[in-house]
Amino acid sequence: MSVTLPRGDTAFQARALYRSLLRQSNQFAAYNFREYAKRRTRDAFRENRHVEGSGSDGTERTVQELLQKGLKELQVLKRQTVVSQFFQLDRLVVEGGKTGKQKGDAGGIVRQKDTGWD
Amino acid sequence: MLRTAVLNTAKAVARTSVRTPASIARPVFASNSLLRSQFTPAVASFQPIRCYSAHDGLSKDEIQGRILDLLSKFDKVQDATKLSPTSHFSNDLGLDSLDTVEVVMAIEEEFSIEIPDKEADAIHSVDHAVSYIASQPDAH
Repeated sequence: MSVTLPRGDTAFQARALYRSLLRQSNQFAAYNFREYAKRRTRDAFRENRHVEGSGSDGTERTVQELLQKGLKELQVLKRQTVVSQFFQLDRLVVEGGKTGKQKGDAGGIVRQKDTGWD
Repeated sequence: MLRTAVLNTAKAVARTSVRTPASIARPVFASNSLLRSQFTPAVASFQPIRCYSAHDGLSKDEIQGRILDLLSKFDKVQDATKLSPTSHFSNDLGLDSLDTVEVVMAIEEEFSIEIPDKEADAIHSVDHAVSYIASQPDAH
C-alpha cells in the first residue's frame, strides 16, 4: 500500500494530494467517517494554504513536511476505508439515494446484527 | 423388504412427477399450435434485425447545462451572475485552486468518469471542462 506523489512542482503535488485524499475519503462506507474525512481534508488544506514553498529560508521544507504528512494520512485512509467496507450498516436517511431499512435482498446492505432487545 | 418399499415409493414419485408436467404441458401445447396457425404469416415475415445502437455521446449544450447547474449549486461561487459558458473558475468565479479541484471532482462525479491528475489540473474554465467532457466517450 505505497502512495507516492506525482512529479511536478509542489503546487501540483499538493493539488494531486488533495484530490486523492478527497477521492479516498469518498470510499468510506459509513456516512459519519466519510463526511469527517472530507471535512478534515478540506480544513487541513485551507488551514495551510498560505504556507509558501518558494523561499530558500527553510519554508520549502515546511511544505514538504506537510505533503509527507498528507501522504501518511492517505495511507491511513486507504487502510481504514478497506476496513470500513467490511462493516457496512444501513444507509442513513440524510445520505439521500437509497434510504431506510434495507432487507438484504437484491444486493442491498445487510445490517450486521440487531442490538438490544426491542 | 424395506428396499423394495423404498424403490416402489421412488418409482411412484418419479411417475407422478413425470405425469404432472405432461398434463400441464398438454393444454399449453394445444393453445400454442392454435396460435401458431393463426399467426404464421406474421412470424414468417419477421426479419430478425439486430439493433447495434451506438451511444451518441452527450451534446455540448447538455454538458454545458449540467456543469453550469453544478456550479450554481456550489456554495463558494461568489458571484453567480458571472456564471457563463466561458467563465474562468478563478478569474470570474473567485475560486482558488483547492476549490477548482473540488469543482473538477464534482464534474467527474456528475459525468461518472475519472479524470487523471494531469488533465484535471489543466481544467480552469467552464468551456475547457465542456470540451474535455465532450472528448470523453464514456462520459454520461
